[in-house]
Amino acid sequence: MIDQFTDVVPSFFGMLNQGPLTLTIFLHTVIVLPMFWIYASEKKKLNK
Amino acid sequence: MAKENLSVWTSIPFWRRSAAWVTGFASILLIWLTFDTMGQISMGTEADLAKGITKRVPAPTVINYHIDYKMSEKRGHEVPVIGKKQPFFGKEWSEKEAAALLHLGKLTSQAKNCMNCHTLLGNGAYYAPDLTKAWLDPAWQKSGAMQAMTGKNTVEEAMAEFLQHPSQYPTHARMMPNLDITAEEAKGLVAFLKHMSSIDTNGFPRNFSKTVDQFKNGGTNAH
Amino acid sequence: MLTSIKSNHLTSSGQRLGMMYFRVAIILFGAQLLMGLIAAIQFIYPAFLFELFDFSVARMVHINALVVWMLYAMIGATYYMLSDETEHEGVAIGLGKLAFWVLTLAVTIVVLVYIFIQIGPGKESTIWLINEGREYIEAPRWADIGIVVVVLIFYWNVFATYLAGKKTGIMTVMVANLLALAGLYLAGMFFTDNISMDQFWWWWVIHLWVEATWEVFVGTLAAYALIKIIGAKREVVEMWLWIEVLMLFGSGILGLGHHYFWIGTPEYWWEIGALFSALEPVPLIAMFVHVLYDWGKEQGINGEKPAINNGPAMAWLVTNAFGNFLGAGIWGFFHTLPQVNIYTHGTQFTAAHGHLSFFGAYATILIGTMYLGLQGAYGVKQMKATFNSKMGLFLSTFGVLGMGVALTIAGYEQVLVERAELGAGWNAFFVAQDLPWYVQAQLWRAIMGVVTLLGFVYLVLDLLTIGKKARAAEA
Ligand code: HEM
Ligand code: HEM
Ligand SMILES: [Fe+2]
Repeated sequence: MIDQFTDVVPSFFGMLNQGPLTLTIFLHTVIVLPMFWIYASEKKKLNK
Repeated sequence: MAKENLSVWTSIPFWRRSAAWVTGFASILLIWLTFDTMGQISMGTEADLAKGITKRVPAPTVINYHIDYKMSEKRGHEVPVIGKKQPFFGKEWSEKEAAALLHLGKLTSQAKNCMNCHTLLGNGAYYAPDLTKAWLDPAWQKSGAMQAMTGKNTVEEAMAEFLQHPSQYPTHARMMPNLDITAEEAKGLVAFLKHMSSIDTNGFPRNFSKTVDQFKNGGTNAH
Repeated sequence: MLTSIKSNHLTSSGQRLGMMYFRVAIILFGAQLLMGLIAAIQFIYPAFLFELFDFSVARMVHINALVVWMLYAMIGATYYMLSDETEHEGVAIGLGKLAFWVLTLAVTIVVLVYIFIQIGPGKESTIWLINEGREYIEAPRWADIGIVVVVLIFYWNVFATYLAGKKTGIMTVMVANLLALAGLYLAGMFFTDNISMDQFWWWWVIHLWVEATWEVFVGTLAAYALIKIIGAKREVVEMWLWIEVLMLFGSGILGLGHHYFWIGTPEYWWEIGALFSALEPVPLIAMFVHVLYDWGKEQGINGEKPAINNGPAMAWLVTNAFGNFLGAGIWGFFHTLPQVNIYTHGTQFTAAHGHLSFFGAYATILIGTMYLGLQGAYGVKQMKATFNSKMGLFLSTFGVLGMGVALTIAGYEQVLVERAELGAGWNAFFVAQDLPWYVQAQLWRAIMGVVTLLGFVYLVLDLLTIGKKARAAEA
């Protein structure tokens, strides 16, 4: 699953980029997850 | 009615906060990525070249070396290969001279508006051939049409001659116009093109000007 | 001539200033089309104007006029909606007028220099005085600095008026977005010997304009127009606007990666560019659905009164919703994955996408806003489409679509023969350019370009006369 590092020099993002769409899925997840929290907090406000 | 207003999905504050979060965070990521990339694409040094350290964008003194573009097993595509020393316009250029020449070349490429006919690294206009790997193009090599036509016997001299009098050496009905390029500027432009061909473009253009046999052998067009 | 478009009925000086910007925009649009035709003819007859007015010159003026007329129309649209939305006259419209004249003078000088001086020696002075030689942002450095000053005045006007007046959601998005839009221009204002670094920052301007900030601008403009034209409900429209901002910036900012596949930048951009930009069409679908949904819904409500109070503006708005989705969304998606882009990068395919997207996403809605402006300028309650409005819309859209199809075919030939078969060298390029079907496609592009120009003629005719006619009909 984890490929050998192929790019010219290793870097943080390069490390994450070592399998099928690993880097981009990671970034998407990090962006979307906090929206659940925003949703929950808005829900609480609305219910009040 | 009251119940409807309870849905978070139709609440403006929810979308506003989400928009702010996503925009802000994506921007931060972009800035972080930009710093990382800038480190990787800033020019290398002569010391890197001498020690054989691979840089995505080598030092201007790369013009003193032989450049090739070969299939890399590890990378899975073609990469520039910097080889042995090779004279450029008959001499070896010091770090200072090479940097000045590249500066002149890059400046001239903008002053003459190359990008509004050609593509550089694939970006620009589509009226004339891509210049990314022009330095390595078979047309300019020993047995190529351009050396024969210009009567020169190195790539750099053939290119410089062509650039100064392009419409004297037409290959097609569509010609390059005369842009009042001086001899000095032409040298600079050739240095700029040679430098560009040494940039690691992640395999673009793919299968550069090769026959199937050459490609299978991991071969190349450069001399 | 264009001063015959009256703005007497506009009570706000900000709106009158907006109309001034529209007039210049439409003239530059005409110049853009003429230059495009010259360049298109040169593809077919390379001897046409050779070493007199070369392809590079025609093309430079073509795309610069494009960018500048759109910026003019955007500034005009902003001034136009500013006083409406904030219910405030505008804090420094007099200064704004001065900035308008300064900008217009600068643009005139820049264009004259492009046309008559064209190029210079390989020195810094050329970049400062003649042209910077970087596609789309060729304006010489002196003009860059002038533009920054003028834009600062413009932005100050918008921002201070926003602070002084009513703060709607639409204006909040507008004010924040314009700051980013203006700030991005600075990323294109430096020189470097490193071509990779050069293009890295060049794309910050180009991509983060057209695929982030300009798109959000279109979102705000569409929101405003829907309220004005069909009386859409503000709460609904503003909710959609925030969703659009979320999706546009969420995908568009990191979607920038689709330009970092091959310019010397690291391989990790392949993944980032691929998936984020692949999501860019999603908000464009959302905007399309939104406009059509509102249109359908609002039309059913008022039985006796026609629901649409500005026919041509609405028609252009719907064309925008569709064109944005088609040109940017579908044509963009076609070549946005690195596996595809390695072959299509820098071919006529890119040009096909460029035409469909700039026209579909921006030209359309900006023209629609001009009709909105005319309605206000002549003080008419009900603006109906005339024969000229219909011909203008139909012919220009049909023409651009035709050019897009022709260029897509040309690009397809080029990808297969030049790129896949022969490997992108000098010779490969010319072999593909000489293919009969490629040549035919270039011919069709020129023909469709003439159709587009014809549509433009009808459009100008209509803009000059529709107000008077509508006014007479209502009197
Ligand atoms: C009379 C109609 C038109 C003609 C004949 C025409 C022709 C051309 C030509 C010949 C080029 C150069 C392409 C190349 O480098 O190979 C070009 C580029 C371009 N034109 Fe047009 N054009 C027309 C209308 C438009 C319109 C209406 C728009 C947008 C609203 C537009 C936007 C562009 C853009 C963005 C480019 C740069 C494309 C790229 O670099 O990928 N053009 N046009
Ligand atoms: C209204 C929005 C858009 C406009 C006005 C636009 C315009 C353009 C233009 C003019 C170019 C050519 C730049 C050059 O001259 O080199 C371009 C390139 C490109 N666009 Fe767009 N675009 C838009 C949206 C999109 C979207 C949504 C996508 C993806 C889903 C996309 C994907 C691409 C890609 C991949 C390229 C690079 C083409 C190449 O490698 O040659 N664009 N765009
Ligand atoms: Fe883009």
